Amino acid sequence: MGHILRHESLLKKIIEGDVEGHIGVSKLKEKARRKKGRGFDDKSKRNIKDEPMEYESVDQTEDDGPGPQRSVEGWILFISSLHEEAQEDDLHDKFAEFGKIKNLHLNLDRRTGFLKGYALVEYESYKEASRAREGLNNSDILGQQISVDWCFVKGPKRIKKPRRRMKQY
Amino acid sequence: MSGEFYLRYYIGHKGKFGHEFLEFEFRPDGKLRYANNSNYKNDTMIRKEVYVHQPVIDELKRIVSDSEIMHEDDALWPPPDRVGRQELEIVIDDEHISFTTSKTGSLLDVNTSKDPEGLRTFYYLVQDLKCFVFSLISLHFKIKPIS
Repeated sequence: MGHILRHESLLKKIIEGDVEGHIGVSKLKEKARRKKGRGFDDKSKRNIKDEPMEYESVDQTEDDGPGPQRSVEGWILFISSLHEEAQEDDLHDKFAEFGKIKNLHLNLDRRTGFLKGYALVEYESYKEASRAREGLNNSDILGQQISVDWCFVKGPKRIKKPRRRMKQY
Repeated sequence: MSGEFYLRYYIGHKGKFGHEFLEFEFRPDGKLRYANNSNYKNDTMIRKEVYVHQPVIDELKRIVSDSEIMHEDDALWPPPDRVGRQELEIVIDDEHISFTTSKTGSLLDVNTSKDPEGLRTFYYLVQDLKCFVFSLISLHFKIKPIS
């Protein structure tokens, strides 16, 4: 009985949290003064609220609180302010000094074919990623200072999904 | 860069295989939501969410403002039809756009439309956004997003 009650209150909290998210978005939209587009009075427009869906996320570690979030297979850094003519090798050489790079995404601008200006680098361990972040933030590539920081963060403190927890009983 | 920001993109259609769509959303608190519904053959239903760090949102805002999409208008774009629809909704500070159009097959469709310049802006921005989101989602969750 106690378990059931607890689950209900957990579930309530989660649903409320989500509703709050929606309210946050609605408020933001209300505040906007200049509106443009056919979407505002299009009745067949998609409404996210019409389809209540559960979204999966990577489990957060127990020591919750703000900070970087681990990805499924490692730790990912986000690099910005990249020179549009930088090469993959420029980036690879720099970041490989801090550990083996598991993945490197260097996306192009679809219009110009040059770099879009950002990249994602994945390391296996927190230590490697953290050192690369400290060592390379504000460093130079082709004379341009790059920014290096964590890509993902832990969300606001929340309780694990009740559905998963229920499986344990 | 700071200030309020929200972005949602949707592309989908309802047909033989039900409602098939791809949608992603960046909320003001940094939550990225990604949904991909494909019912064809091996019906996949992917729903993922993760919080991105502020520099990721700043980069996204830069991509959006560089594209100048906020200066465009969807009034002359081909409206959504049976083949499908696209929706792009963005809030930056006090500006809010909510554009809808049909699916864009290729640049030829863009160039022969009534507003080639505006639609081209939309076309390239959507590609850049998809590319951005696919990198985030595929690296974080180790899945291959389907476009």
